[in-house]
Amino acid sequence: MTSAASSVSSADSSTHRKRSKWDCETDPALVASPQPPSKRRHIAMHHADVSPSLSTSPKRPAQSIFVPPRTRHPPLASSRSVYSYEKLNSIEEGSYGIVFRARDKQTGDIVALKKLKLDEEKYGFPITALREINALMLCRHDNVVGIREVVVGETLTQVFIVMDFIEHDLKTLLTLMPSPFLQSEIKTLMLQLLSAVSHCHSNWILHRDLKTSNLLMNNRGTIKVADFGLARRYGDPVGVGGMTQLVVTLWYRAPEILLGAKTYSTAIDMWSVGCIFAELLLKEPLFQAKAEIELISMIFKLLGPPTNDSWPEYSSLPLAKTITLPSPQPHQFRQKFPFLTIAGIDLLLSLLTYDPERRITAEEALQHPYFSEAPAPKHPDMFSSFPSAAAGERRRKPFSSPPAPARGGGHKLLTDLE
Amino acid sequence: MSARPTLYPLASLSQFHSTPSAQDSIPRHVEDDLRAYGCKLIHQAGILLNQKQVAVATAQILLQRFFYVSSLKQFGVADIGMGALYLSSKLEECPVRMRDLINVYDLLLQRAAHTVASASSSSLHHPAEFKYTPMSYFGNTFYDLKEALVVSEMQILKRLGFDVQVVLPYGTLVNYMRLLGLTSRNEAVSMAWGYLNDALQTPVYALYAVPTVVSAAILLTTRRLGISLPSSPENCWWELFDVEWEDLWSVCGYIMRLYRERTTAEQVEIMGLLSKKDLRQWLEGRIT
Repeated sequence: MTSAASSVSSADSSTHRKRSKWDCETDPALVASPQPPSKRRHIAMHHADVSPSLSTSPKRPAQSIFVPPRTRHPPLASSRSVYSYEKLNSIEEGSYGIVFRARDKQTGDIVALKKLKLDEEKYGFPITALREINALMLCRHDNVVGIREVVVGETLTQVFIVMDFIEHDLKTLLTLMPSPFLQSEIKTLMLQLLSAVSHCHSNWILHRDLKTSNLLMNNRGTIKVADFGLARRYGDPVGVGGMTQLVVTLWYRAPEILLGAKTYSTAIDMWSVGCIFAELLLKEPLFQAKAEIELISMIFKLLGPPTNDSWPEYSSLPLAKTITLPSPQPHQFRQKFPFLTIAGIDLLLSLLTYDPERRITAEEALQHPYFSEAPAPKHPDMFSSFPSAAAGERRRKPFSSPPAPARGGGHKLLTDLE
Repeated sequence: MSARPTLYPLASLSQFHSTPSAQDSIPRHVEDDLRAYGCKLIHQAGILLNQKQVAVATAQILLQRFFYVSSLKQFGVADIGMGALYLSSKLEECPVRMRDLINVYDLLLQRAAHTVASASSSSLHHPAEFKYTPMSYFGNTFYDLKEALVVSEMQILKRLGFDVQVVLPYGTLVNYMRLLGLTSRNEAVSMAWGYLNDALQTPVYALYAVPTVVSAAILLTTRRLGISLPSSPENCWWELFDVEWEDLWSVCGYIMRLYRERTTAEQVEIMGLLSKKDLRQWLEGRIT
């Protein structure tokens, strides 16, 4: 009953809000739409004996961005059923589960449905799936694949993560595309990747499995970081120690994890970013090693073996003693990347730095001169599009001439004429 | 870059007005007391398990949220509390062993059952002292509790739409107390901290944003200790934190009602309603 009246009064009040000095910036949309205060009024009325008269809030300062109005908080809502979606085709199957392409029956949107494997779970809902869902919800960003909701099937063992459908993954694209990305395109992709990684890190999330097959790309030149299956929170007060070394796909794994470091942090993601940068330049993975030892020797060969100067903590790492260092030699980056500019080499060297303490952070890398020198990053809209394997589209063969006439058919045609 | 505030879910107006338990004709005061007792069990289990306070607090908030989308008639507070603590321990990266958690809950539930039993046998003037009987190794107790645990965890996730993001109030309290120049008084800081922890046994964290709850703890503290802060219109300290007086006062009401003296009979009645089975029996008894 009072809700109508009170919303009117608040609409009035919104016109002469005064700005609080605590505001940094206020979302204009946020100020323009006054929060319907009916909810609080009603709660307050339960304690009518103590609540002051309802007319006490005529002037309300605009809210700080750190205290969003309560209407911006989502209501408590249960998971919808998976039958809200219509299955189209399966995209891929991994150890974690199967990914389907599906259509939202209400909106018609095309989405990706990731079915979690829960059948053999002894310890309730798997912590890895929890981390993945939480990380995706926490790290909403233009370059992180968007989570829409989590839906459930008929039994408690059927859980599906609903995500935006993205046409390509960078890995498949790199192997299929006829020529490598241009420098201007690589810059755009790297800027997007770095801004996503920086966003995750500022939200205290480590991805721990960055690689080209986990970078999705749409037909509008935007990449999205996906597969947070190994992601976890880091830093104080969440457990700093006790993190597993069984992370990151081998080719993209940082040297400190290879050497058994007990604690690691954001720098491991930055090493992977360096490997991805190199892969974009080379059009093939940088370190294609079959096992850890081979990978270590490949790293030593490209970077030169670590020294006391380049990595002071090296000798204290658990597995350092098991490795005999080759004789010192300078790094081989110039030979490996003959066409990269000096700034480009510098960025690559800063990403592929031995000492995790000195490895460049995502935030710093975004400011690197490589991105401001010519050629400028290409606008995402200028990227060419490709047929999507995930959507079941086929690539047209480049020089497909029409097939030769079939003999039987041609013969029949002649007889028909007769 | 500015870190955007986490938009954790809060109960909507209709969820607040008519809780699923109220729709099952469970009286409001029984619902509130049962929620509080469920949170108290989580707290006790957390202490016995040596679990971190962040996991305990998260579990209590999840339980409060859960009963805005589900009825106490469908899910017992003890089961949901156990599931919530198991889940929150994973969320806060300090997982507990299933068997430890089950043992602890078995002890707590036995103790509650003992209190109920000794209260009902009024002939005994000196009730028997509680003695814990460990569950038998080959018995079904463990498997029953384990089943309840796994189902509760899954139900919490499902009914909360897998959105289990929780923002705890402690950091905000420290900031606000500093800003108001109250950190020099130790008793004020620890009292406000205590109010925040006690508020975990009320639904306020599922109803109001963190700044409101924190301001309520500060208001109660300053009133209790007779500290004066600018509180007349135009210059109200809570406006600094974008808090509405009505909301603030309502949260204070929830916290203060927690301290209302309950009679032994009232306490025992609540302890006898921890499972959905007992609650259903009790509801039927009330109707007839």
